[in-house]
Amino acid sequence: MNEEPIVPLPEPTPAAPAHSPATLPVLPLKNTVLFPFLFAPLSVGRPGSVAAVEAALGGEEKTLLCVAQRNGETDPPSPDQLFNVGTRAIIKKMARSEETLELLVQGVERVAIVEYEVKGAYLVARCEPKPITEDASPEIDALYRSVIDLANRAIEIAQPQAQPSFQQLVAGSPDPIRLVYLLGSMLSLDVQKEQALLESNTRLAALQLLHGYLAHEVQVLELRQKITTQAQTEISKEQREYMLRQQMRAIQDELGEKSPEKAEVEALRQRLQETELPDEVRKEAERGLARLDRLPSMAPDHQVTRAHLELILELPWKKSTTDVLDLERTRAILDEDHFDLKDVKQRIVEHLAVLKLNPQAKAPILCFVGPPGVGKTSLGQSIARSLGRKFERMSLGGLHDEAELRGHRRTYIGAMPGRIIQAIRRAGVNNPLLMLDEIDKLGRDFRGDPSSALLEILDPAQNHTFRDNYLDLPFDLSKVLFIGTANALDPLPRPLLDRMEVLRLTGYSEEEKFEIARRYLIPRVLQDTGLKADQVTLSDDALRHVIKHYTREAGCRQLERSLGRLARKVAIRFAEGHTDPVKIEPEQLNDLLGPELFLPDRARKEMPPGMATGLAWTEVGGEVLYVEASRLPGFRKLRLTGQLGDVMRESAKAAQTYVWSHAAELGIDPTQIHNSGVHIHVPAGAVPKDGPSAGVALVSALASLYSGVPVRSDTAMTGEITLSGLVMPIGGVKEKVMAARRAGLRRVILPRDNEKDVRELPDEVRRDMEIVFVEKIDELLAQSVPGLRTATTS
Amino acid sequence: MARDAFRFLPLFLPGAQTARQPEWQPSVDVYRSRNGWLVKFDLAGVHPKDVEWSVAGNALTVRGARRDSLMEEGCRHYHMEITYSRFERRVEVPGDLSSARITTEYRDGMLLVRIEEAGT
Repeated sequence: MNEEPIVPLPEPTPAAPAHSPATLPVLPLKNTVLFPFLFAPLSVGRPGSVAAVEAALGGEEKTLLCVAQRNGETDPPSPDQLFNVGTRAIIKKMARSEETLELLVQGVERVAIVEYEVKGAYLVARCEPKPITEDASPEIDALYRSVIDLANRAIEIAQPQAQPSFQQLVAGSPDPIRLVYLLGSMLSLDVQKEQALLESNTRLAALQLLHGYLAHEVQVLELRQKITTQAQTEISKEQREYMLRQQMRAIQDELGEKSPEKAEVEALRQRLQETELPDEVRKEAERGLARLDRLPSMAPDHQVTRAHLELILELPWKKSTTDVLDLERTRAILDEDHFDLKDVKQRIVEHLAVLKLNPQAKAPILCFVGPPGVGKTSLGQSIARSLGRKFERMSLGGLHDEAELRGHRRTYIGAMPGRIIQAIRRAGVNNPLLMLDEIDKLGRDFRGDPSSALLEILDPAQNHTFRDNYLDLPFDLSKVLFIGTANALDPLPRPLLDRMEVLRLTGYSEEEKFEIARRYLIPRVLQDTGLKADQVTLSDDALRHVIKHYTREAGCRQLERSLGRLARKVAIRFAEGHTDPVKIEPEQLNDLLGPELFLPDRARKEMPPGMATGLAWTEVGGEVLYVEASRLPGFRKLRLTGQLGDVMRESAKAAQTYVWSHAAELGIDPTQIHNSGVHIHVPAGAVPKDGPSAGVALVSALASLYSGVPVRSDTAMTGEITLSGLVMPIGGVKEKVMAARRAGLRRVILPRDNEKDVRELPDEVRRDMEIVFVEKIDELLAQSVPGLRTATTS
Repeated sequence: MARDAFRFLPLFLPGAQTARQPEWQPSVDVYRSRNGWLVKFDLAGVHPKDVEWSVAGNALTVRGARRDSLMEEGCRHYHMEITYSRFERRVEVPGDLSSARITTEYRDGMLLVRIEEAGT
């Protein structure tokens, strides 16, 4: 070991005065201020500055003067561009790279520049230390603490992770001015403000300045944080959900569970394997399943594909109920549910018989036509019951969009299968009884004509490959038993009508209503009101009275309501404590149901010449209508009033022509015809009427008018006439005859060709009524205006 | 472009805490000796005439300056890590030093200060 000579140190000396060379090289700072006590990395590139640093490095103590430039753009700065207070600093470390010098400088003390001097490429300055006044006061303490609080707040917002080291720093620096300089350098202040801080001569002034800067900074930070937070909230919500989903998936993977989507696809695949499907359908379903597997659950197509797949799986491609092929049982059930309606029941039994012989037989498409309330819908239900088929009904009333029946294509958002496929899906079998209610009330508009769609559905030759737009696969509807119902056939397009087998349900007679009430309505009403059969009885007379005077309808709805009302009135009595059984007689009806609603159509006892009784058919049954004809002197034409339709007007003209041309045969004075015109009115004036069946009444009225012989007042008549004098058949015979009977008429004249229809009439009607069949108009007139011949002969 | 306030905070903190009036502080080892203390100051490159020390109470203060002088003609700094300029270091030891005998010695660039406590 090579020992160095030990050099003794001089004896202790009093501390030397602050060492501060009078003249130092000046390093101008752009955009920043170097504070005493602080380190700053500097990058020096300007030739003047490099020269200044070189000069400092050449010195023994590596000391230089850092002074901020008033304006960062000036280069090289002249002395008047520099502030007059700067910081004496030493170069702690230095490294060269290319043309620049990287420095780490440390501020030592605040100095005031006495004078600048240009020395070659750089400036030197003569300076003297300018230490800060170490003043102290409670205000300084207060400001100091407040500054620390503000700084804490600012760091909390801007850089929470730096907070602990900041608190350490505060604890370790007892001199407030150091903290002031440190914070001042950390704030993004402009040079003027930093310089102002450096130039503060007292602690108080420096703290006040810094406090102002910090408060502003904290406000800006808080505002910025608020804005950022607001902007991020929206995004982060979605991101959060996404993250959670991803995590859930990861967890499920980890646990060996399947994601809900996968599990769903698996469940569908399972169902697909278990379900019996036609080959074509299975292929399509498998394609859909594969697509579903690939699609992310967020994709809009995912839902569409899944819904379609579920529909395919739910449809009863091969599921059907077995028909109960027991004719006796079927008959019994039909009879049990409905009174009479022999034709319809017979047709159902026939179909059953055919099915028995040929199970592959196509189901017929029936259409029940009749007034409201005659039991069309409930008949459908009982047919389903008797055959052991599922029953589904859908109302087509007001349906005006073809897509409702046939579905929307899947490309549309919210697309659904059509009503037919939906009904099949509900039924769960491919051979339900499907009731298409109100088929005559289909609408049509620019969206298409639903009745045309029905053509395909209801054609047994086509409907085994019915293609719903949504399902997009052929479905066999040929096993479905379609039954349509309609109040009238007129609104139905011919091609549609052509496909269906029409079964007419006519209105019920009083006797039939009586039976229906006894057998079905009264028990139902009693059950609804909670009365027992032995608590209340309705006498036969009372029931007839209700039917006659409180209802006027073809069906039974009004009757059922009236009976319900009766039952409720009685129920009140029992609820009030009455215990004796009640027997309702006709006399009590006035109290229970109020005054009679309908007075029987009284046949007019006296009818003047020119008046005749006709019969009309309406959707709600038959009606009696009177034809009134009156002479119109001085007017040559035929005037028709009473809202008559074209057919009826033409019918009136034909009647007039017949009477005129046969005036001689009828014993009518031709002058009478030529002298005056005729006015024909058919009350009630507000109700539109049409059809040819009033021809016989019109011709009778005219013959009576001209001859002056009145028409028989007990006779009603219906039938179409021709100019050649024939009487043609008409429809609705049953309702018309019953309407005549209701009105108290006992004699009806019908066309000969309608003789067959009379068999439909209930026995009691046939018993009561005298029915006369005529073939020609002269036969008719002989029957309707019996005085005519005598009048002519006399 | 506005600087983000406090962005440079961690960068500044380690250096900032040692910022003191003296430009640098030499490292110090303190030994317990048989009859007192031996304090070793790392003062490489410091000329002994640039060092002064004083004693007050139980504190020993050594201050001075490390001056750089060109090692050879025509060379200039390319890289610099050694801190020059003034230094000061205060070391406190238990006990009063005013009556202690203090000797100094300069060896291998280290300043050794021997403190022999009074009464031993």
